[in-house]
Amino acid sequence: MSNKWMHSAVFKVTAMAAAVSLVLFGSAVAASSATHHGNSKSVTINVAIAYPAPPKAMLAKFTHETGIKVNWSYLQWDDLQTKIAAAAEANTYFADVTDVDWSKVGEYYVTKWFLPLNKYFSMSSLKSQYPQLSSFVRNGTLVGMPMDGSLLVTTINEKDFHKAGITSMPTTFSKYAKDLQTLKAKGIVAHPLDIPFAAAEGLSTYWYELTAAMGGQVLSPSYKPLFTSKSSAGYKAMTWMVNAYKTGLVAKANLGYEDYQGFETEMAHGLAASVFSDYSGDVGTVYDVASQSSVVGDIDYSPTPGISGIAPNLGNPDGIGIPRSAEHVQAAVEFIKWMEEPANQAAFAGANGPKNVISTFPLPSNRGGLSLLAKSGKVPGATALVNLVEKHGRAVFPAGAPPWYPNFSNAVYTNLHGAAAGTESVASAISAIASVVRSLSS
Amino acid sequence: MSQPATSGRRGSLTKEFAERRSIRSEAMAYGMVAPLLVFILALALYPTVLTTIDAFMHIDPVTPPNHFAGFGNFTAIFSNPEIRQSFENTGWYVLFGVGLTVVLGTTFGLLLQRKFRGRGVVLAIVILPWALPGVVEGVIWSWIYDPTFGVLNSVLKSLHLLSQYQLFIGTRQIESILLTSLVQVWQITPLATLLVLASLQGIPGELYEAARVDGAGWWQVIRRITLPCIRPGLAIAAVEALVLSLNIFDQVYVLNAGASTASSVMSMTYFITFQGLNFGQGYALSLLATVVTVALSLGTLKLIYRKVTF
Repeated sequence: MSNKWMHSAVFKVTAMAAAVSLVLFGSAVAASSATHHGNSKSVTINVAIAYPAPPKAMLAKFTHETGIKVNWSYLQWDDLQTKIAAAAEANTYFADVTDVDWSKVGEYYVTKWFLPLNKYFSMSSLKSQYPQLSSFVRNGTLVGMPMDGSLLVTTINEKDFHKAGITSMPTTFSKYAKDLQTLKAKGIVAHPLDIPFAAAEGLSTYWYELTAAMGGQVLSPSYKPLFTSKSSAGYKAMTWMVNAYKTGLVAKANLGYEDYQGFETEMAHGLAASVFSDYSGDVGTVYDVASQSSVVGDIDYSPTPGISGIAPNLGNPDGIGIPRSAEHVQAAVEFIKWMEEPANQAAFAGANGPKNVISTFPLPSNRGGLSLLAKSGKVPGATALVNLVEKHGRAVFPAGAPPWYPNFSNAVYTNLHGAAAGTESVASAISAIASVVRSLSS
Repeated sequence: MSQPATSGRRGSLTKEFAERRSIRSEAMAYGMVAPLLVFILALALYPTVLTTIDAFMHIDPVTPPNHFAGFGNFTAIFSNPEIRQSFENTGWYVLFGVGLTVVLGTTFGLLLQRKFRGRGVVLAIVILPWALPGVVEGVIWSWIYDPTFGVLNSVLKSLHLLSQYQLFIGTRQIESILLTSLVQVWQITPLATLLVLASLQGIPGELYEAARVDGAGWWQVIRRITLPCIRPGLAIAAVEALVLSLNIFDQVYVLNAGASTASSVMSMTYFITFQGLNFGQGYALSLLATVVTVALSLGTLKLIYRKVTF
């Protein structure tokens, strides 16, 4: 009797658990199906971005003008990419607006995780306004809108260079390398160059920038490796980076530093005198911020020295887009348009002073914003940066990032890190990366 | 005549009452367990079933469509040298993690067994690392290990054990793994300590007294009485250390980023799944990790656990 009851109780509890699960599941489905694609008024949109929110007053103004409330979630870039992938693969709602990094455009074009924005933005007018638009377009599809105008730029601690007796800043790579040796030899800075050798994305982009400075590219337009020959720019760039580490131009500690750690712990404290591939905006947001820097006023942007003169500055922009699972598409579009307004872009980068700044926001994405920023005179080095964007800005991959870019980058930073750590040679690192590219592009 | 009848009826009523009471209390117990059951079904069992199915599928949104792949994901995993390296590394993590946690947990448990002034405060401090998230610990320890500013370098240099600051993590495999593992050991040892301490407090004092009367020394007491009596606590501590070491991720990610020198199975799972978007291989790796975790946990329990009654 008791046993029989026990069985029946187990059954009942299991049934109850299943019923509760079904109710919960049903509610979730019902909630997720209650989407609103048309009306954008009186809705709250979720925005998940790898930047801190702008001041509340700015968002309140947007809400006042449009009736759209913004729930802004600031997530670290890596975490955000994980969440985007997990939500998209599970086909669940995650946000109405989120990050579309330049490096993910090829992937998102193939996976169709984001809504094409062509019907909301006129491509013909965008082309003249956005210097880095090509990084967000694949086969005519606008996968995301450029949200900032980030570039890879060279920064130099001019005070240290002057101390070493270097009066003119380097405009060629050979002079740059010689100047670094001089700084080291004269004991001005023990390890004058900052290269972030941790196995992370910042190491890959550093190599791309140095490869560009040496007059080449890492991949062809059809995504074939262009770095396997010893005379190629990519091979030379990697060899130079690894030698710089082994000969002490770069501190040992850098093997474990990601890009931002190098900027904040070394460059901002006078432990390095130059970053070849820095973030545009770091002078104003890191090096000239007295609370976190001991080199305020000493560091400036410098045209990136190349083999025979000024080198290109590769684009590193973040964009924004609308995931397919977005619940409020029209409101999301209005929000993106607001984010892209030149006055707002300039304000985010500091054109109105600190009050409307988005912390770490590097540069406006469009020419209107860039022009307002330069005119404001409130951001250190802004005019130099605008000049670099217009004259030397170039996409990392002229044909756009390949859909398998994350695997490629993973192979680059893992093997380049290994070469610096001494667990493999440059030749084997190059060979391993090329092998990954061939298998991915086949 | 009526007496026995009344007595029989009363007996039957008492039995019925006891049965109802038992039913009610059992129903209540099941009712209280039901929410947990829902969570286990929804958050553990259901994903495990899906993972098992998807581990045999090609699921890669960059190269659609999804299709049945048989053992293809597993073959790919075992032929990938970076993943094979992570298997080896994880073996080291388990060795260091379980060994150090059990030894340190037992040692601290024995030290804290004796009553002394401020014992409560010491216990509260000891448990602190357990409360910190793995990422926070990784960041704290990255400062400790830092080759430029790190406390470890500073201490070792001031003790003249180092002539110049060293890079501890990144170049040498075993050293990198040991130092990364130490961060996790620092986190999980407090729980092991508490488990051992709880077991120690259950040992009757008479056993120690009898041993002392028989002339047993300190080591004999530990070996013949203490260790055998705390086997249940040790078993749980060892399994806890085993599970966390097999699944180490946060500390590896913060201290080692994506380098293969000290990569773990979980860090590879993360990179393959969320960076490479190869969900099929990610599921296969997860399934492998689950099976290995369950098998080794059961093996550890069988090896260490013994029922102890006093």
